[in-house]
Amino acid sequence: MNDNIYGYLAEFDTPTQLVEAARKVRLAGYTKTDAFSPFPIHEIDEALGIKRSILPFLVFAGGVTGLLTGLALQWFVHVFDYPIIVGGRPYFSLPSFIPPMFELTILFAAFTAVFGMILLNGLPKPYHPVFNVPRFALATREKFFLLIERQDPKFDLQETRNFMQSLNAQEVFDVDE
Amino acid sequence: MISNTNFDAPEDITRWRTLALGIGGIATVVWLVGCFFNTEQALRSWLLGFIFWGGIGIGSLGVLILQYLTGGAWGVVIRRIVEAGSRTLPVVFVLFLPIMLGVTHLYEWTHLADDKIIQLRQPYLSVEWWIFRTCLYFVLWGVMAYLLNKWSLQQDQTNDPQVALKLSQDSSKFSGPAMVFYVFVVTFAAIDWVMTLDPHWYSTMWGFLYTAGWGLSCFCFAVAILALLADKEPMNRIVGKRHFQDIGKLMLALVMVWAYFNFSQFLIIWSGNLPEETTYYLTRMKGTWGIIGVLLIVFHFAFPFLVLLSRDTKRNAKWLAMLAIFILLLRLLDMFYMIGPSPMIGNHGEEMEFHISWMDFVAPIAVGGIWLWYFFGELAKRPLVPINEPFLPDAIKHGIEH
Repeated sequence: MNDNIYGYLAEFDTPTQLVEAARKVRLAGYTKTDAFSPFPIHEIDEALGIKRSILPFLVFAGGVTGLLTGLALQWFVHVFDYPIIVGGRPYFSLPSFIPPMFELTILFAAFTAVFGMILLNGLPKPYHPVFNVPRFALATREKFFLLIERQDPKFDLQETRNFMQSLNAQEVFDVDE
Repeated sequence: MISNTNFDAPEDITRWRTLALGIGGIATVVWLVGCFFNTEQALRSWLLGFIFWGGIGIGSLGVLILQYLTGGAWGVVIRRIVEAGSRTLPVVFVLFLPIMLGVTHLYEWTHLADDKIIQLRQPYLSVEWWIFRTCLYFVLWGVMAYLLNKWSLQQDQTNDPQVALKLSQDSSKFSGPAMVFYVFVVTFAAIDWVMTLDPHWYSTMWGFLYTAGWGLSCFCFAVAILALLADKEPMNRIVGKRHFQDIGKLMLALVMVWAYFNFSQFLIIWSGNLPEETTYYLTRMKGTWGIIGVLLIVFHFAFPFLVLLSRDTKRNAKWLAMLAIFILLLRLLDMFYMIGPSPMIGNHGEEMEFHISWMDFVAPIAVGGIWLWYFFGELAKRPLVPINEPFLPDAIKHGIEH
């Protein structure tokens, strides 16, 4: 045990154990937690009390921005800045503006989705203390991990460690800062 | 394990059946009275009802083929509903008979022997050839529906998991080419039945409008039936929130495809700006027709699109079913928007003023009552889920997952 600690990391063999442990951790009142698994586990969001992402709303806003950008761009080009008559149609020809407006809606929504996802995930992140545990590399292969951070208001060096050992974990590691 | 459980349709279906037949029967009698006063309008209204309800039956065949091609839990859950829909094709054909018998009272091209353009189209637009083609469409759809339903029944009756798996795989293999034929036949049928109402006008998007539109109708109808069954035995053990979410996503996709095809047709005609093509929209953008056009853009596209973006709406069976019925009503309005403004016999060259007849309400109720009566009868004939489908346990599990 040392003072220079980031949190505790528990290792599990199966996703079921991880979800069960996550439920207990949440019931015990911990909030600064995270789970790591080689594949998505749908139950874990509910078990750890992870809130739904705000990404869908950002994507919607991105799409609306794209739509209006498309409209503004074409209005600026075809009506305001350089109006020329094409095929005898009016300068402001909404039907022919719709395909580019649609394209920009998709473009902006897709960019928001990709970059929003990356930023909301906290990426890019060159350093994270959890990698100081050598066995954590197995999180991408066959093991399941549960982390409680020291910043958690309920965190206590001794009690939290005992609590995590009571969760049927294979092993509980100290995560160095 | 699954086979020992009872998956028969609930008793309520018999009651719904009687109700549908009663309402449909009364409406048919009323419609028959209307036939004596204004045959052309009566047939037009019947065509409206036929294209709407028959479209759900034909669309069911399309969705049945589609779910065999794509796989997925949603397809297993609604398979018996769309199967029952595809087995209504015989009654859809019977419902077409009034139009077939009254073809010379409904279609202007049967009266335009001295019209230059119609003379050139005469080899295609002759009454005998038109009737033959329609029969051919029903034969082709009928064969597809018959085979897929036969294999599905055999799967119910077998005890051998290997045979059950093979029957599912065969259905999938058959569905590939079947989908190609289905879209071709729908294209020809939609052109023959609806586009020829205006024999001078043509659109190459027409078939896609009906493929997508009837598919959307079928999904909305399936959601409504599924929601109706969801809180009763046996479907309350089967359907979960996630099934509704998946079907909701497909509804969203088809709402967008419908709008995309309609806009494509509009943009092509608007850009081309040729007199023989623009008549369609010139009539439909004026006065009350124009208002209906705007209503369709707002309530057939924008409103369902925005509502279906939300995950919570898609996961709530009641909300999704209410939206599905709302879209179905707009589907009917869309059909009215296609059929109503077409030129009537003897009105050649004149634009159609806005007109709506009391029979435009009665005929869809009449066709709907008869169709639903037959549909519920077919639905009750088989268990409500494909009991020996190898993917069934996974499909049920998928629905209750987070």
